[in-house]
Amino acid sequence: MYLVKDEQSSSSLWDEEFIRQHDVAGPRYTSYPTALQFHEEFTHQDYLDAAARSNQARKPLSLYVHLPFCKSLCYYCACNKVVTQNENKKRAYLDALIAEIRQKSKDFDAGRPVYQMHWGGGTPTYFNDAELTELWYEIGRNFHLVDKERGEYSIEIDPRTISGEQLGLLKGFGFNRISLGIQDFDQKVQEAINRVQTLEQIEELMAAARNYQFRSVNFDLIYGLPYQTVASVTKTIDKVIELSPDRISLFNYAHLPERFKSQGLLPEEALPPAEEKLHILCSASNQLVKAGYVYIGMDHFAKPEDELAIAQEKGELHRNFQGYTTYKDADLVGLGVSSISLIDNVYCQNTKSLTEYQTLMEQGGSPITCGVTLTADDEVRRAVIMSILCQNQLTPSQIEAQFKIDFSSYFASEISMLESYVAQGLLRRKDGSFEVTPQGRLVVRKICMAFDVYLPDHMKQGRRFSRVL
Amino acid sequence: MSNENGSANRVPARNINVSCTDCSLNPICLPVAVNAKELDELDEIIKRSRPLKKGEHLFRASDPFASIYAVRSGTIKTYSVSEDGEEQVTGFYLPGEVLGVDGISTNLHSNSAKALETAAVCEIPFDKLEVLSAKIPTLQRHFFQLMSREIQADQQLIMLLSKKSAEERIASLLLSISTRHTKRGLSPSGFRLPMSRNDIGNFLGLAVETVSRVFTRLQKQGIIQVDGKEIEVLQMNELCHMANGVDDKARSA
Repeated sequence: MYLVKDEQSSSSLWDEEFIRQHDVAGPRYTSYPTALQFHEEFTHQDYLDAAARSNQARKPLSLYVHLPFCKSLCYYCACNKVVTQNENKKRAYLDALIAEIRQKSKDFDAGRPVYQMHWGGGTPTYFNDAELTELWYEIGRNFHLVDKERGEYSIEIDPRTISGEQLGLLKGFGFNRISLGIQDFDQKVQEAINRVQTLEQIEELMAAARNYQFRSVNFDLIYGLPYQTVASVTKTIDKVIELSPDRISLFNYAHLPERFKSQGLLPEEALPPAEEKLHILCSASNQLVKAGYVYIGMDHFAKPEDELAIAQEKGELHRNFQGYTTYKDADLVGLGVSSISLIDNVYCQNTKSLTEYQTLMEQGGSPITCGVTLTADDEVRRAVIMSILCQNQLTPSQIEAQFKIDFSSYFASEISMLESYVAQGLLRRKDGSFEVTPQGRLVVRKICMAFDVYLPDHMKQGRRFSRVL
Repeated sequence: MSNENGSANRVPARNINVSCTDCSLNPICLPVAVNAKELDELDEIIKRSRPLKKGEHLFRASDPFASIYAVRSGTIKTYSVSEDGEEQVTGFYLPGEVLGVDGISTNLHSNSAKALETAAVCEIPFDKLEVLSAKIPTLQRHFFQLMSREIQADQQLIMLLSKKSAEERIASLLLSISTRHTKRGLSPSGFRLPMSRNDIGNFLGLAVETVSRVFTRLQKQGIIQVDGKEIEVLQMNELCHMANGVDDKARSA
């Protein structure tokens, strides 16, 4: 393995200079329009109308279930979560969630199959076995889950909360994918972020995951954490490669202590400066690529034989709030506090307040507090952005056929930006399409931003990197 | 000789209407979660129909999932049928064990269940349990606890069996049955295998000849004593080592 590494080190894909020149601060486009456009005038009736339209179209469903509790606080975390050791709080939330499951399932035709489901957090596995069983049972009773082989059912796991044997329970429910929160193997980094877990714990879980034959294991890693250096992250990635997960998410840590209080607990002086972060990103990514992982886009890597890489190869990759997925055209139903739904041409979000969520569910009310109905223009732009992000290309004739528009007049100003990106090497022309170059993929959101009408112009022009990296 | 030890098949013929209070299995079943007064209420929702005769079905694949079942006496086998009509045995359920949890995801049973011998079963209907749970919150929690344990145990066994040699698989199964006996306060070393060699082979993914051969070998090695369906474990440690895939050489080294 190391021999191969040395051979290839001369041809590194991750080019620091290129990223430095082109990367900009911007959205990650898990949705378009982004959540910033959600507004409170959106009503429960708007949601119900969308659900009725979606029942006409009879697309399959995708469920997202948010389980916000954690036993202890990881200082870097910017998720919607509640740290508690109080069992009653978990119980009260579970009751509210079950009420929402029963309520929302009535809005969708009973036969619509659920091909995708994800439980995220918080820490889903902080709920005990009986609670998880009860939750799975309630979902199975109210929605049409499919056979384990056909569904893509995944759950986020905090390795500190679960034993290898408990993975058997998750497999028994029907989960076939797991995602482990690793972040970093370095002990000093782990102590600084208040998330200490040993390599042995992860090894045990990996062995169990293989024995129980989970179809895919994902590792979440973070760069930009205190005390990280190129050398320390290289060691972490070595261990990751040895453990051989099928997918890897390498997330950027954005330090915003004024927005996320707990981030203030991190030793600020130990955060790697922007230049070092860029070194870390490029070196870690190159290391993964050399080990045989394929870069899918926007923080994600996968083994070439993983379904995600295969789907991208075939042009069948899609993107939603759960990241990249092989299932297209599902209506996404979000369940739980702060969760987002995408139903027909509507995005809507549940309240972000746990107390409000529980009160609303207790009263039999609607948890939805904001949302947005896509305009015809939003839909065209969303298709363009998702094509760039998932297929790494944009084929004007496809968009014209799908939306009955004339691409060159509709996107006259955007095309001139695309031309400049061609000149800069982010894009190339191929048979009437724009194809994102390998380097362009490293800064792909910049290309997407050209089509985002809600972004202020000064952001679109591509302010040079510094804030995000 | 094994008859003195083989107590499993001599579970006393219970009155099918025996209540939870009087059931010897209640420490490992639902009643553990409720007090004496609540026990009567629980008792009322539990359906105890006439015992199943050998070969009779408890439920079939694709039946709606509305209840789970606790075995009171006898043995139940679960199986699925592949597309080409082959039967695949998926589990054996002994007294005190809960089955039917295979329907939790899809609301349809994915397996069929039939009695390997006369069997008494308690049916616990979900809708009634739900109503009762509103009054006794501990009950539903315990119920899901029980269910989670069953799911976990099933998976563990499937996983163990999928990766082992013929000897390891058979040793694992014998050990599993022995452990389950112990849980009920019965002898760990003497028991009756309620299933045929065919069913064992099918469940373990082994030819029936292999099953017989391994039994003979284990007997020759003095690890077990076999008398038809009666089994006596003579060397429990050896059986454990074998189930864990540790052979003699590895241990003496």
